[in-house]
Amino acid sequence: MSTLTDLRIAAVGDIHLGEDARGHYRKRLEGIEERADVLMLAGDLTRHGTLAEGRLVADEFRDLPLPVVAVLGNHDYHSDLQHEIAGELRDAGVTVLDDDWAVVECGGTKLGVVGGKGFGGGFAGKCASEFGEREIKDLVRHTRLIAEAWQVALKEVQADHRVVLSHYSPVKETLEGEPLEIYPFLGSYLLAEAVDTAGADLILHGHAHKGSEKGMTPGGIRVRNVALPVIGRAYAVYCLAMNGE
Amino acid sequence: MGEAPQYVAARVQQALAEDARTNELGIRVDIRGDQLFLRGQVSEPGQRDRLGEVAHETAPALHLHNEIRILDASAPGEDEHLD
Repeated sequence: MSTLTDLRIAAVGDIHLGEDARGHYRKRLEGIEERADVLMLAGDLTRHGTLAEGRLVADEFRDLPLPVVAVLGNHDYHSDLQHEIAGELRDAGVTVLDDDWAVVECGGTKLGVVGGKGFGGGFAGKCASEFGEREIKDLVRHTRLIAEAWQVALKEVQADHRVVLSHYSPVKETLEGEPLEIYPFLGSYLLAEAVDTAGADLILHGHAHKGSEKGMTPGGIRVRNVALPVIGRAYAVYCLAMNGE
Repeated sequence: MGEAPQYVAARVQQALAEDARTNELGIRVDIRGDQLFLRGQVSEPGQRDRLGEVAHETAPALHLHNEIRILDASAPGEDEHLD
């Protein structure tokens, strides 16, 4: 049972909406305002990252009776139209994070949301490093810059609670079930390190369809993989107790 | 001697990921003899059918078993309290 003092966060990722899904997801959101205070979308909202799919996603989430915060995923980047897709979502009233932050007012509480797509590279001791060929250095640098931006955003945002929203995973635990060989393509420990340094109440991500729902950073911050195939339901709801309660 | 099945399976998996009709990552592809198996889960029957089409076009000589499941995610489910 949730209490009046809980902040209820609905979350889902990897919905991969294509033209044949028009209207289907919207139906699953009926009554969501009774169950949650905010909805977070953890990327891979489209299948091919086309503008038509981006518009379809925007229509599915347009003018919902609760705030919606989203990040994009690798599929949403596939057609190099990520900025246009983000624009369509914003026009539909969705807050889209791109390595920055937003504050959502939820029943008198300020919820700070920080994040973006994230990226890969692997996990401590078994990861790529900024060494060798330009292509490898670029990959790791890309993730490092993202992690640095999140750390800055977490320090800047003024809110009662802070949640990090990502597509890629910050930890290995929520990848359990995926082949070990592809872990470096599924996330990076640099993301977790940045969040542990700056602090947050919860990290939400998607991307790993065969992974596990629940994990934790080395610093003890709860991590939830909300990829649709992992949670197996329209959305998961996580309740954060209000300050000190 | 024919091509090793591991390479054929890898090519099918790449096709499922890269073909614009599917762009689906994470589908498991296994080959045993002349049998090709697809496993995983997707949200819509249409996508499952397209994955089967692309796999068949990539390895037409193999007998396809499309065992991909459709994920039914209609109910919101139970809340989790993080305290």
